[in-house]
Amino acid sequence: MSALLEVSGLAKHYPVKKGIILQKQVGAVRAVDGVSFTLQRGETLALVGESGCGKSTTARLVLRLIEPSAGTVRFDGQDVTRLDDGGMRSLRRRMQIVFQDPYASLNPRLTVGDAIAEPMAVHGIGNDASRRAKVQELLALVGLRPFHAERYPHEFSGGQRQRIGIARALAVEPDLVVCDEPVSALDVSIQAQVVNLMKDLQARLGLSYLFIAHDLAVVKHMADRIAVMYLGAMMEVGTKAELFARPRHPYTRALLSAIPHPDPSLRGSVTPLGGDVPSPLAVPPGCRFHTRCPFAQERCRSEAPELREIAPGQQVACHFSESLPEVASAQVGGLSAVAARRLALYDAARRKAA
Amino acid sequence: MAEASTAVATPVAPSMPKRPGTLKRLLREPIAAIALLVVVILVLAALLAPWLSPTGPYDNDLSVSLTVPGTPGMMLGADGQGRNMITRLLYGLRSTLLMGVASVLLGGTVGALVGFAAAFYRRVDGLLMRIMDMLLSFPAILFGLAIAAIMGPGIFTIILALSIATVPLMARIVRGSALVVMRQDYIEAARATGMSDARLIMRHLAPNCLSPLFVFATLRFGQVILLGSALSFLGLGAQAPTAELGAMASEGRDFLFFAPHIAVIPCLVIFTIVLAFNLLGDALRDALDPRLRV
Repeated sequence: MSALLEVSGLAKHYPVKKGIILQKQVGAVRAVDGVSFTLQRGETLALVGESGCGKSTTARLVLRLIEPSAGTVRFDGQDVTRLDDGGMRSLRRRMQIVFQDPYASLNPRLTVGDAIAEPMAVHGIGNDASRRAKVQELLALVGLRPFHAERYPHEFSGGQRQRIGIARALAVEPDLVVCDEPVSALDVSIQAQVVNLMKDLQARLGLSYLFIAHDLAVVKHMADRIAVMYLGAMMEVGTKAELFARPRHPYTRALLSAIPHPDPSLRGSVTPLGGDVPSPLAVPPGCRFHTRCPFAQERCRSEAPELREIAPGQQVACHFSESLPEVASAQVGGLSAVAARRLALYDAARRKAA
Repeated sequence: MAEASTAVATPVAPSMPKRPGTLKRLLREPIAAIALLVVVILVLAALLAPWLSPTGPYDNDLSVSLTVPGTPGMMLGADGQGRNMITRLLYGLRSTLLMGVASVLLGGTVGALVGFAAAFYRRVDGLLMRIMDMLLSFPAILFGLAIAAIMGPGIFTIILALSIATVPLMARIVRGSALVVMRQDYIEAARATGMSDARLIMRHLAPNCLSPLFVFATLRFGQVILLGSALSFLGLGAQAPTAELGAMASEGRDFLFFAPHIAVIPCLVIFTIVLAFNLLGDALRDALDPRLRV
C-alpha cells in the first residue's frame, strides 16, 4: 500500500518587489524551501521547529490553502497541486484542518451545531435530519453535550472550542487531519484533555495526523514519527524513539536540550544555541544551520547537505552526523525532567479517562 | 462563559429554555422599542398620506398664508403659499423617506458588494478601489448636476446621485472590515471544507462585517436626507409644488423671522427621522450579534 501523503520538493517563495509602477523582484522570502516527507495511513507525523521555520506554511501547502511555488503533494496517489477546482473540492472532503487558536477558528455568528454541520452540507452528505443526528454523535464523540449544538462559540472555554473544531474537522470523515499547533494555545491541564481525545479518535477512526507543534512533550506523546524543520527545510526525520534517543542532527539536539530545566546544577550541560534564526530572505549558503551550529566546519559553509538515510527510517541533513559527540546525559530519554513529568501527567489523565 | 465551562461537570437540564429571537431582543431595549415605534409611525404616515391629509397636497389659499400653528383647523399653521402644513409634512415625509431609504439601500448594497469583492478577490482590489477613489473625489452635488442634465431634475435624480455618492464610502468601510475578517482562521477553515466562494462570502464573511455596515448605513441615512435637501434647494430635486422636507425647510428660510414654524417644523421632523433611524440601527446591530445575547 502506498503512503497516504507524499510530499516532495515542496516550496513556497514569496517574491519581494520594489518600485510602485515598474515593479521588479528584488528577492524572495523562502518560507518553505524544498520539503519532502511521507505520511502513512493511521500514522502521526509531527512537524517540529522554531516559530517562523515554515511549519504552518507547509501545512497550508499540503491542503493547498496556499499555492506552492514548486514541488508536488500526492494524496492517495493524486497530485493535489495539479487538481482543478472541482477535483480539489471533492478532495477537501478527505483532508481537514484543526487550527491553533480556538478563539479565531470558529465563526462567531454560527451556532456550534451549524458550524459542525456545514462541511457535510457543503459536500451534500445526508439531509437536514441526518446531519443533525451526526452533529449530536460528533458532540458526544468529543465529550460535549447535545444541547451545546444550540450555543454560540463565545459561550465555550478554549478547550471546549478546540474540541468543537475537532468535531467540525471530523464531520466529513476525513482520512487526513492537519493539526496546526492544536494545543499550544491551551492551558497545560486542558492540553492533556485535547491531546488524549485526538489520540483516542485516531485509534477509533483510523485517522492520519500531520501534527504541527513546538512543544516536545506533546510531540512525544502524540507522534509516531517526527520531522524537524529549520528555516524552511527538513533537518531530520525519524521515528519518535530513535529521534529522542539518538538525535543525529545538531539542531535536533539543540531543540531537545532547549526544554527548560528547573535544576541549576544540570543547566549548562548543554550549550544553548547562540544568535537568531537567519532571515528567510537571505538563507545562508551551504548548510542553512551552519551560522548557529556548534560543530560547523568549512564544508558546511559551502555545500548544502542532502537529506540522507542514515539508519532505516531515519534521515538527516548533516555532513557530520556520524562524527557528532555523544548526547549529554543530563536528558532522560531525550526529555528533561519537567517535560518527562508533563508527559507522565498526560498519561495519567489518559488512564483516568479510560 | 462560566456556565458553559462547568456544563460538563455539573449536568444541566438538557432542555434549555428557548432563546429569545432577534425581534424580541430588540424590543427588550426601551430606546430601541421607542425608535422602532417612531419609525413605524413615520412610515405609516408617509404611506397613508393621501388618506390622512386634511387637504390636497397642492391646495393653496393665499388668504391663510403664514397662519401660525395652533390656529383652529390648522394645527401646524400654513406656509407662505397658504398650504396646510400638516398636508405638506405628510407628503414631504413620503419623498424624504423614499429618498433616504432608497439611496442608502441602493448605494449601500452596491458599495457593500464592491467592498466584499475587493477584499475577497485581491486581484481586482486595486482596480475596484481606484474606481471608488475616483467616485469619492466628486462631491454629491456634482453627480446631481450631471444626472439632472441627463434625466432632468426630480426625486429619482436625487436618489441616483446620492446612491452613487454612497457607493464608494460603503465600499471602503466594508472592504476594511472584510479584510480583517478574511484573516481569521474560520475563513481558512471554511475554505478547507471546499465550499463555493458565494457560500463563503454569504455565510462567513458578510455576517461578520455587519456591525460597521449597520452603523454606517444609519449614519449615512441622516447625511443623505440633509444632502438631498441641499440638492432640492439647488433646484435639482423635488420641483416646486412637490413637498419634500428639505425643500420645505429651505422655502421657509424666507420667512424665518416672522413665521419660523415653516422652516422649524420640517427640520424637527427630519431630526426625528434621523435620530429614530440611528437608534434603531444601533439596536439592530446589537440584536443581530450573537455575542451580545444573554
